[in-house]
Amino acid sequence: MSDKIETVKKLFTSKSSRVETNKGDTYYQDLFEKCEARLNEMRAQTPANRLDFSDLLEENGIDRREFMKWASATTAMLMLPPMFTPLVADAAVMMNRAPVVWLELQDCAGNSEALLRADGPKIDEIVLDIISLEFHETLMAPSGFQAEKQLDEAMEHFKGKYLLFVEGSIPMGMDGQYGTIGAAGETFHDHLLRCSENAAAVIAVGACATFGGVPAASPNPTGAVGVMDVVKNKPIINIPACPANPANMVGVVLHYVLTGQVPELDSLLRPKFAFGYRIHDNCERRAHFDAGEYVEEWGDKGAQNNFCLYKMGCKGPMTFNNCSIVRYNEAVNWPIGVGRGCIGCSEPDFWDKYAYERPMADAKIKAPTGGVEKTVDEFGLGMLTAAGIGIAIHAAASAVAGKRENSGESHE
Amino acid sequence: MKQGYKQVKRMTTAMRIMHWANAIGMIGAIATGLYIAHPYYQTFMADDAVDKYVMAWNRYGHFMVAIIFDITSVLIAYLYFFSRFEKPYKKLIPNAHNIAEFKAVLVNLLTLNRKKEFDSSHSDSFNTVYFTIFHLLLIWMLLTGLQMYVQGLESGISSIGAWWPWLLHLTTDWTIAVTGGTNMDVRMAHHTSMWLIICWVVFHVYYQVWRTIFWKEADIAIVVSGSKFVKDDTLN
Ligand code: HEM
Ligand code: SF4
Ligand code: SF4
Repeated sequence: MSDKIETVKKLFTSKSSRVETNKGDTYYQDLFEKCEARLNEMRAQTPANRLDFSDLLEENGIDRREFMKWASATTAMLMLPPMFTPLVADAAVMMNRAPVVWLELQDCAGNSEALLRADGPKIDEIVLDIISLEFHETLMAPSGFQAEKQLDEAMEHFKGKYLLFVEGSIPMGMDGQYGTIGAAGETFHDHLLRCSENAAAVIAVGACATFGGVPAASPNPTGAVGVMDVVKNKPIINIPACPANPANMVGVVLHYVLTGQVPELDSLLRPKFAFGYRIHDNCERRAHFDAGEYVEEWGDKGAQNNFCLYKMGCKGPMTFNNCSIVRYNEAVNWPIGVGRGCIGCSEPDFWDKYAYERPMADAKIKAPTGGVEKTVDEFGLGMLTAAGIGIAIHAAASAVAGKRENSGESHE
Repeated sequence: MKQGYKQVKRMTTAMRIMHWANAIGMIGAIATGLYIAHPYYQTFMADDAVDKYVMAWNRYGHFMVAIIFDITSVLIAYLYFFSRFEKPYKKLIPNAHNIAEFKAVLVNLLTLNRKKEFDSSHSDSFNTVYFTIFHLLLIWMLLTGLQMYVQGLESGISSIGAWWPWLLHLTTDWTIAVTGGTNMDVRMAHHTSMWLIICWVVFHVYYQVWRTIFWKEADIAIVVSGSKFVKDDTLN
């Protein structure tokens, strides 16, 4: 019963994607002082990692001017006023004091890939390079018992301070036996609970860690769920998308380093600075949408002229993400920019409910009863046909009955 | 007037205007809604994208119809309780009389008018329940529709003020949770509910025609002239 009351309460108080971008001068003045104090404190600490940010920038041929440009853009992305720019720049330099433990569970390592990117690192990636990655199975040299030892040491040493990044979903089926790790065969579920125990915050990256993603797609054979379904009583930040955008990972870590706080989140625990935008409202093809100009099939005239991808199944109208603004791969391009529709990768259940590459009205959707897959219109026409047959029978029967009655009357 | 019949007033002018506004609006909502779901005709290539707004006009039409529904819904909800004519809510209370009447009308329908053991001069409880289902469906369309609409106001501001998206979030965010947890579920629910409404309309039209033919009381005239005819017992 109390469970139900909680659900109802949650239902009616669920937060919107609205972002309050102006909280007033006193608020920002306060925050500024707090951040400054925090950065001073951090400056005194010895870096957990000997990589030096300025050296790295230089090595990659990035000058101070370019760096400050990045800092002001990042400040704006975090929805802080311009006066925070020098602090953001300082915080970036001090990212090597942010201990990070990175877990990979049921995943494809796509987010690690995004974090590393293959070539030409720009500032976002360099920032991620210097975070003090204390543990990352895929990337680190040690393995086996050695790796486990390193994890235990990191968790002990940075108790209550480290950020736990989680990539991949948690298989809950068969007592979690679908995914185990280490010589002891610890399940992903236990592993996650143990590692999150002493974390300062848990950051779920990618569609799988946030909402279960592809592993959780119907029929979800492994019973996959997202981090927020199993980790309780910890600040959780979801950075969905497939893969999560490095710009947003940097944003969250920077925000944390700078303010010591979790950024403002929406009802799905996504930072509003990144997921407070709807793809459809910041899409360069929007004029074609309003004009009714659609790509009808791949490679047609419409496609050559960058028409809207709505009829090819673009889910921009239902998807909240900032990839239409910050884009991917050093802001080179993004899915709709290259001519394919959005598949809603930053929304829950995206594989089943968004990614079918045709408009919702044309997609076969599982009936709530399971089993039969029909489009909503086929389903609707079915209902209508049933109603029509019922009516036809009733009408015919009424007519026959009416005639009989009439003739009965005339005989009297 | 046919001998032995008397005229009874059933719908006021205001009620009839609302009825036809809803009926015409429904056709508009379905035509534009289906275009939004799957643009089913092409635009002419001759003009720039900025000069023609085929989808935008369809959405505009859909929202204008929605506003008509908004207004009639509020008015009808008001009339349910405060109409000086007939207060429909009285027919919704499940008391013994209403239940009996509901059953009697249903029996009349199922026995193909063999049995007619209720007073058909006023709006009966079966009809009232049936209309209430429609109004609930309409409110459901309104809430799910406005939820989709407020997704485009993610900035939290609007030309008429921040209160508008705030109000929409407050009143419609729960439809996401109820339909299945994602924005897409709301859209599916909105689309599927359209078919429920279409089925409702089909039976509604059939039933009114059926009553007219078999009861011989000119029920169909209610929505045109406002009155129907019933046998006048005082004359016999
Ligand atoms: C009563 C108030 C209503 C409101 C506020 C409303 C609003 C909306 C909105 C905002 C959309 C999405 C448009 C977009 O994303 O660009 C939509 C789509 C739609 N509406 Fe409504 N609507 C209403 C009533 C109706 C009614 C009465 C019908 C039909 C009986 C209807 C049928 C549809 C359909 C079929 C779609 C397309 C859904 C899809 O994508 O498959 N709507 N409506
Ligand atoms: S391509 Fe997608 S996001 Fe862009 S305007 Fe068309 S439907 Fe909207
Ligand atoms: S366009 Fe859509 S599917 Fe593609 S990355 Fe952006 S949110 Fe994800």
